[in-house]
Amino acid sequence: MALTTKQYGSIIAVVGITGAVAATSVALARAPFTEEELTQQMDALYAAAQKGYDIWHGSMPSMTTNGLACANCHPDTAASNPQTFPKYMTMYGKVVPWQEMVNWCIENPQLGERLDPDSEEMTAMKAYAMYLHRGKPIEPGLASRQTTPVVVEFGTGFKREPTGLGVDTREYEPDSNY
Amino acid sequence: MAELESKSRRDFLSFAGKAGLSTLVAQAVGINLGVVDIVRAQTGKRGVDPFRFAIISDSHLYSIDNHKFDEQLITAVAQVNAMNPKPDFVVYGGDVAQNGTEDQLVKGKKILDSLSVPLKIIPGEHDWYLDMGGAWRGLFGEETWSFDHKGVHFIGMNSILVEDFWTGAGLSPKERMTVMEMLESPIPGPWGVHDKQLQWLADDIKGLAPDTPIVVFTHSPLWDYYPRWNFQTSDAPEIREILSKFENVMSYHGHVHQTLYNRIGNMSSVAAMSTSWPWPYPPVALAYPETQMNRADPSIATDGQGTQLIDLSADFEGLVQYKPFEDSLTPFMKEGFKV
Repeated sequence: MALTTKQYGSIIAVVGITGAVAATSVALARAPFTEEELTQQMDALYAAAQKGYDIWHGSMPSMTTNGLACANCHPDTAASNPQTFPKYMTMYGKVVPWQEMVNWCIENPQLGERLDPDSEEMTAMKAYAMYLHRGKPIEPGLASRQTTPVVVEFGTGFKREPTGLGVDTREYEPDSNY
Repeated sequence: MAELESKSRRDFLSFAGKAGLSTLVAQAVGINLGVVDIVRAQTGKRGVDPFRFAIISDSHLYSIDNHKFDEQLITAVAQVNAMNPKPDFVVYGGDVAQNGTEDQLVKGKKILDSLSVPLKIIPGEHDWYLDMGGAWRGLFGEETWSFDHKGVHFIGMNSILVEDFWTGAGLSPKERMTVMEMLESPIPGPWGVHDKQLQWLADDIKGLAPDTPIVVFTHSPLWDYYPRWNFQTSDAPEIREILSKFENVMSYHGHVHQTLYNRIGNMSSVAAMSTSWPWPYPPVALAYPETQMNRADPSIATDGQGTQLIDLSADFEGLVQYKPFEDSLTPFMKEGFKV
């Protein structure tokens, strides 16, 4: 059956409308969380990062007996390589998660007491380290290469109240992708 | 692989050899072919009596007795004392102490006193901000100095001066120190040598001829490497400008706890390894990535640390050799490199 120009035009119009309806229905689907809820979730993450930042800089005395903190060797979480775990670590002779590497550092270079890997404190440290590696490719298994965190331009690298001291006066603005 | 490495090495050496304009050709030829530097031999103005000096830096001693960092500084001193031939002197690149307390500085002084050659020293931020250099000056003297040795003019400056963030906020000396101890501290901002030392430097070099060999020591690098971690000196451009009349200036610094080379204009810049812990390379590209050391193995407590030995030739060429405690160097770095 040959379609007339008029019929053909109608079909296109119907397809077009259907397509538009489909597109609209996607756009109109209920967002899983409101903007307010999303903000709350990110603020909870920043609060965890803040706790992790404090621990990273020595707020838990049990983690050290020689004065060393994570930040001695890992400023801005550099070379903590969280995006490369789990990986084989020679000191264990097996594949271990990042939390275990943290505990190794606590027990050896810092001569402290290991943390429960499932503890709030360990999760906070991971939140801090992962946030400072956001957008970095996940590369399991690179044991000898140093990766880098994101460039931190000011402050602590995540959202929190500026201290107002020295140059620390700038408010954090989240980057658009995260 | 070996071929690649040696090619990289050749490229680097020919690049690194492009020093002051008048010595460009002579240096490049001298490095690559091992022939006599004709230009300099003819003028003979520089007149360096060849010698070597060593650098120790960043021991970050804690107050705790028998801390592993004590042992690491002792190892560095023993390493320098065993160098043969002996260096004429040692320059310490700052950060003897971790928290700036007098006991830490005294402990460092005591260990450094066992060096068998003279010591020159400049301060780091960890030495300074508890009492604004009071104890450090009492033990080590002035932090800004210059002297001449075998035809070379040596300069040391205090590059870790920051604007006052503590008085207005009513911070205690210990709180001030704690802020300064953190490499990635959000508070102090960039540090530098500030106006008084810039004026001193201008006066110090006023009467020197342009072909005078100059070696300058600061705790932080005299170029913008990674300002976030104060891997910079805010008035480095002014320092380089003051020193721009010289044909060749060598800058050596501590603070970055890693092997590193750079060159800007007439100034080469070489970092010292620490004796305490290595710092990661920051998230920026290096102009001379060949000078990076291997990623330190965390299971080897002294990996990525060591001392430095620099041999100065008659025509003021420096052979830089890192002397790591462990096998931390890439094949390129093992043979040393010329500046």
